[in-house]
Amino acid sequence: MRHLREVRLLWIRTGPGALILPKEVSKISLEFHEKIEGGHRGAKKFWRTMLPRIKYRNPSVPIQITRHKNPSGPATLNIFTKPTPSSAAAAAPTTPTHSVDIKEMPELEVLAQLVSRTGAVEIQMTEEEKEQWREIEAFNKRSEADRKMVRERLEKEREDERILKLARGEITE
Amino acid sequence: MANPRPFLAPLSRIGASSIAIPRAEIIRPSILPYQTLRCASQKSAAPKKKKKTRNTFLQYDLKHAEQFALVDAMQYIRAFEVGRNPASSKYEMHVRLRTLKNGPVIRNRLRLPHPVKTDVRICVIAPPGSKAAEEARAAGAVLVGEDEVFNQIKEGIVEFERCICHIDSLAKLNKAGLGRVLGPKGLMPSTKTGTVVNNVGVTVRNMVGASEYRERMGVIRMAVGQLAFTPEEMQKNVKAFMDTLKKDIAQMQDRISKEIHEVVLSSTNSPGFTLNGEFKNANSIPVKELSGPL
Repeated sequence: MRHLREVRLLWIRTGPGALILPKEVSKISLEFHEKIEGGHRGAKKFWRTMLPRIKYRNPSVPIQITRHKNPSGPATLNIFTKPTPSSAAAAAPTTPTHSVDIKEMPELEVLAQLVSRTGAVEIQMTEEEKEQWREIEAFNKRSEADRKMVRERLEKEREDERILKLARGEITE
Repeated sequence: MANPRPFLAPLSRIGASSIAIPRAEIIRPSILPYQTLRCASQKSAAPKKKKKTRNTFLQYDLKHAEQFALVDAMQYIRAFEVGRNPASSKYEMHVRLRTLKNGPVIRNRLRLPHPVKTDVRICVIAPPGSKAAEEARAAGAVLVGEDEVFNQIKEGIVEFERCICHIDSLAKLNKAGLGRVLGPKGLMPSTKTGTVVNNVGVTVRNMVGASEYRERMGVIRMAVGQLAFTPEEMQKNVKAFMDTLKKDIAQMQDRISKEIHEVVLSSTNSPGFTLNGEFKNANSIPVKELSGPL
């Protein structure tokens, strides 16, 4: 439960990608290769780390991903917008309003592209969330120190055991 | 016996010397390892305390768990499932029971108001033109017939996932010798699996869109929805599932008492969310926002 509440849900609520898209944006679609070779790493990372946050904050915006089998194929970010914010009933446009080539682009830059094209508003972390992140960091630091301590003790025990066996002649070097 | 001296000489030497020395020399090598062994084995020699066996599953206190309304859980799940193929990701329910480890388990099948899987192709073996065949067609069977179906299967064309046989056609089916083709696929109708029936129409209707569930390790797991379902559709499905489950539990009441401990909603690629039984709370987002395409 701690992991769900403190790590996964906090992760999806905060961090890069926690932003509110303007109302005009009707759809976001991504297209990239199935593997990361050929400069598709950033696109994949963007999908895995930032798209969940975008989707959480903008649940009504459809997000679609197409993955092709050609490493030299395109890696694009398509943003569809409605013609005017008032006529919501207008047919969904078939051609994207913005089409960005995101090949060889790290995920944060992809996010920056999205923000600059759409004018999305980033959600700032509240003081409470910041405090939770600090707690998680402290916890991780402490667990790393504990892990080191336990490992050292175990290794020492094993070494003693080995030396003892060697002295009894049960094993030979 | 020609020359007894070499044999006799050592014997005489032993007899001449003190008896205690040779005995000590013989025994000492066997004593030494024994002593060291005893030292080393002292730790493991103590018998391990046997753990007290439990006949119930561990239950955690839900006071420490954060519980979610259905709409909130769906908002999180839809975010975790972003970019996945909506046809392959499913909502799952996990119902944890307070029950004995050994004892009767809940096992049933039900038809959800909004079926999760609708593309099950069913083959019905019944005499063509009969009432049963007509019923099967009406209920949604893809393939109905006798000889033509047998011929098709023998040629290796098996384009269905379930196979049902009418009781009257069973003899003909067994004569056709299809067990070699259908058996390995688990499609061969038999009375043991309940696929040889009298009332074909009802069985087919139950099979289309019905799903099975059973209790394993004190938890009942079942897929309850496609990812594209709206919160209202999910609510109906969850309700139907829980109602059937409660009926099952009530039926077992005379034999064993089971209680529902925790209800968890998750999906193929998301963590599980403990539900608090409410549809939405004051801070939830509008339902309309979760109803659109993914």
